[in-house]
Amino acid sequence: MADVTISALSKRFGGSDSEAVIDDLDLHIQEGELLVLLGASGCGKTTTLRCLAGLESPSEGTISFGDRVVYDASRRVDVPAEKRNVGMVFQSYALWPHMTVRKNIGYPLKVRRNKEGLRDGWVEKAAAMVDCSHLLDRYPGQLSGGQQQRVALARGIVSRPDLMLFDEPLSNLDAQLRELVRTELHALHRQMGFTAVFVTHDQDEALALGDRMAILRGGRVEQCAAPRTVFEDPASDYVAEFIGMADTVRLTRSDTVWSHAGGTTATLDIPRGHDAVDVRIRPDDVQVRAGGAPARPGELVVEAVVTDVVYGGRHVDATMTVEGGSPLRARVPVGAAEAVVAPGERVGVAFPADKVRVFDGVTGQAVARTEQPARVSA
Amino acid sequence: MTATATRPDPAPAAAAQPPARRLPGSADTRRRIGVWLIVLVLLYLVGVPLYRLQELAMADGGAGYSRMLDNPDFTRLVLRTVYLAVGSVVVAMVLGTLLAYAASRLPPRAGILRTVPILPIVLPAIAAVVGWAFLLSPGPGYLNAAMRKLPWWSDLDTGPVNVYSMPWIVLITGFGLTSFVYLFVSAGLANISVDHLEAAQVAGSSGAGVFFRVVLPLLRPSLIYGAGVALLLGLGQFTAPLLLGTKEGIRVLTSEMYFATASSPIDFAKAAALGSPLLVFGVLIVLAQKLGIGDQRRFVTHGGKGAVRRQRPARWAVVVIAVYGLVAVVLPLAGLVAVALSPYWSSTLDPSTFTLDNFRTVLDNPAIIESVTTSLLASVAAVAVVLPLGYVAAIVLLGDRFRVARALLDFLVALPLGVPAVIFGAGFLLTYTKEPFVLYGSTWVIVLVYATLMVPFATRMMMNGMLALGTSYQEASWVSGAGRLVTHARIMLPLLRGSIGGAVALMFVLLTHEFSASMLVRSPTTQVMGTIVYDFWSNGSYPTVAAVSLLMTLVTGAGVGLAMTLGGRDVLSKL
Repeated sequence: MADVTISALSKRFGGSDSEAVIDDLDLHIQEGELLVLLGASGCGKTTTLRCLAGLESPSEGTISFGDRVVYDASRRVDVPAEKRNVGMVFQSYALWPHMTVRKNIGYPLKVRRNKEGLRDGWVEKAAAMVDCSHLLDRYPGQLSGGQQQRVALARGIVSRPDLMLFDEPLSNLDAQLRELVRTELHALHRQMGFTAVFVTHDQDEALALGDRMAILRGGRVEQCAAPRTVFEDPASDYVAEFIGMADTVRLTRSDTVWSHAGGTTATLDIPRGHDAVDVRIRPDDVQVRAGGAPARPGELVVEAVVTDVVYGGRHVDATMTVEGGSPLRARVPVGAAEAVVAPGERVGVAFPADKVRVFDGVTGQAVARTEQPARVSA
Repeated sequence: MTATATRPDPAPAAAAQPPARRLPGSADTRRRIGVWLIVLVLLYLVGVPLYRLQELAMADGGAGYSRMLDNPDFTRLVLRTVYLAVGSVVVAMVLGTLLAYAASRLPPRAGILRTVPILPIVLPAIAAVVGWAFLLSPGPGYLNAAMRKLPWWSDLDTGPVNVYSMPWIVLITGFGLTSFVYLFVSAGLANISVDHLEAAQVAGSSGAGVFFRVVLPLLRPSLIYGAGVALLLGLGQFTAPLLLGTKEGIRVLTSEMYFATASSPIDFAKAAALGSPLLVFGVLIVLAQKLGIGDQRRFVTHGGKGAVRRQRPARWAVVVIAVYGLVAVVLPLAGLVAVALSPYWSSTLDPSTFTLDNFRTVLDNPAIIESVTTSLLASVAAVAVVLPLGYVAAIVLLGDRFRVARALLDFLVALPLGVPAVIFGAGFLLTYTKEPFVLYGSTWVIVLVYATLMVPFATRMMMNGMLALGTSYQEASWVSGAGRLVTHARIMLPLLRGSIGGAVALMFVLLTHEFSASMLVRSPTTQVMGTIVYDFWSNGSYPTVAAVSLLMTLVTGAGVGLAMTLGGRDVLSKL
């Protein structure tokens, strides 16, 4: 076990003037911590993971496991994958089909000549930990997807590596199984306390598994914090949108009055220095009412027209257009506002002040919560 | 199990390890040296013979070229070569496309028929050509004799067909090329979703309408590519022009080149010069293909197979393929069998005289037995040489490092496919009859030329195998702590054994009936099966020719059977 430090890491696949897939990345993973790398495809999360594994050579920067430098561009150090002492679980499982489960799990011990592990039955222990003891003499082709995933996990942890790497390991499982394996993985991590980096594009997975999560964008860290912090206080407009604050309203300021292109005006307590802000909220936090109703204290109301309503069991999802703004979505409990939420209706979409997050219109950075409106009036 | 018991111990060994470095003298440098070593070996195998040819053609101020151009028939020679190539490509394009479309609509139970259009590649070309001669020779040809029984041809003494004429040489060559077009078009068809075709049908197109308005336009890239490859192969055709054209003095560049090395006055410089147009064209095509297609890894996305929904089966498809198989494969073989069983070849076929004497003669002839042994030994040795070479070349080509070495390797590996085998044969003849390696007259020169000819096949089949496996199996092994060599030994080789087995068997098949290059590097004492057939053909010992051809076909058939056992039923389509 060790902590992992990534500093000033860059990776370009072309020459030195090509676009960086990882761009001057700094990350520190504490010993025993599970860090989730979350981001849209192409954000550099898998490349970062592969650089940690030694499967990809970065272009610049350093990587160290504890005080052991495994990559240093300036000193031309690049420890190959087989000498890094990491364990990895692949998206495709990558279980070798010509070996039994026992041989698959035992392989890291065998090729590392780990006599202690072979003698003390680490293979059986690892298999027991992932509940696969009864599968040891089968071939991977005879296992279900979930079982293969567990065996891949056992192979990763069997030699008790310094660092565990997970490359979207759950994405090939169906939804129910994914949740089950996720829970088991969480328990396993609590039990063993390995240091791990987990790559995913699924925010639920990230929220559930991560001690911390790093949201990557264009090869840089947009925010790195505990899941609750990211969820409640996204550091930027991009993060907010990525974790589900889908509704956004752009407000511009003239002197002390904030106005919306659609015509709504509001008074917001936001310090000078911001000329335009984006107000974001989750679709389940907005309230939809009949049009023309006055705003209540502590909320922002935008006039909109309902274009479509989709039934979803316990709720309905409404899509609304706003003059001069991007469309809004609302998730309304069934029975709450059906009279109002119907295609063609003019409605008022209310953003309660304690549920909105505000971002600078130019930089996209979050406006500190204390600066947010205590009082909003139309 | 409690948390404290299962919590792994810290790994002291790992922490104490000094950082491994990528420094000069380390694994990285060794790898670089290894890669360049492979490039140099291939440069020697492929490049030196071609260089020797040009050196000789240019000697004495290009004397070889001037003697070639002095020939008043030179223009006709070139035109005839082009006629042969273009004509056979047209035949092959029409037949190959039709067969590929038919194969895509075969009922599942008739799936085995999909192999039929590929058979002409694996059947010995010389056996097929000889078989056609037995059927359509103007005098004693069995089919000609049968046709003369028809009322409107009953006044003829010979004919009506003369197989020793240009149109028939073109047609028979076209049958051989059809297989290649079939392979390319089939691959193209596999990439067309059935939805496109069904959409056209639902929109009101008839079966033929779907074919002409949707299938053909979508196939355009495969058709162009297939035509290019077929043209290249057509220009280098040697077997049919040599066996069928010689009687009436019909020569093309390749056969003229052969005669310049084999019959007096022997003129190696002129032979070398005659090879130049085909050599240049081949190199240009390979270069164009490399520049146009570029990175092989781009095609990885095609790997996913998923559930392939097939078009509705059609009965006409079975008929088309069966008729083709009958004409292109069964008929010439039947001709061979008939002559091999008869005491002598005449236009009347009399089953009561059938005898196995010809086979006895063959088995009692030490020269023939030796040629069989030489063929088998040379093929096995060449496969043993080329397989590791192809494996390593495939690894390098699929990697993303060593740009210069990789580009060079890519070109060298493709070259034996672009340059006709006859020219390679001539190059090897000229290279290994002089210092530093005088190998002419030994089996070794045959082994070397065979290995060189197989380099593209070995590399391509290894690459396909590796591409299909993907990278994660090896990466999982590296991350588990295994080095490169251990990973190849324990993971890659076992996982690739199907591909390797298939490749071995296929190359064995192609080599045991190799004819073109063998004709140039053979010596009177070192013959292979194909060359000895030619000698008996030239002497007019037709029953022996037929028996040896059948023997070749049997050896090939055994090889094909082995290939299909090891590499799966569709192994032939991986060529």
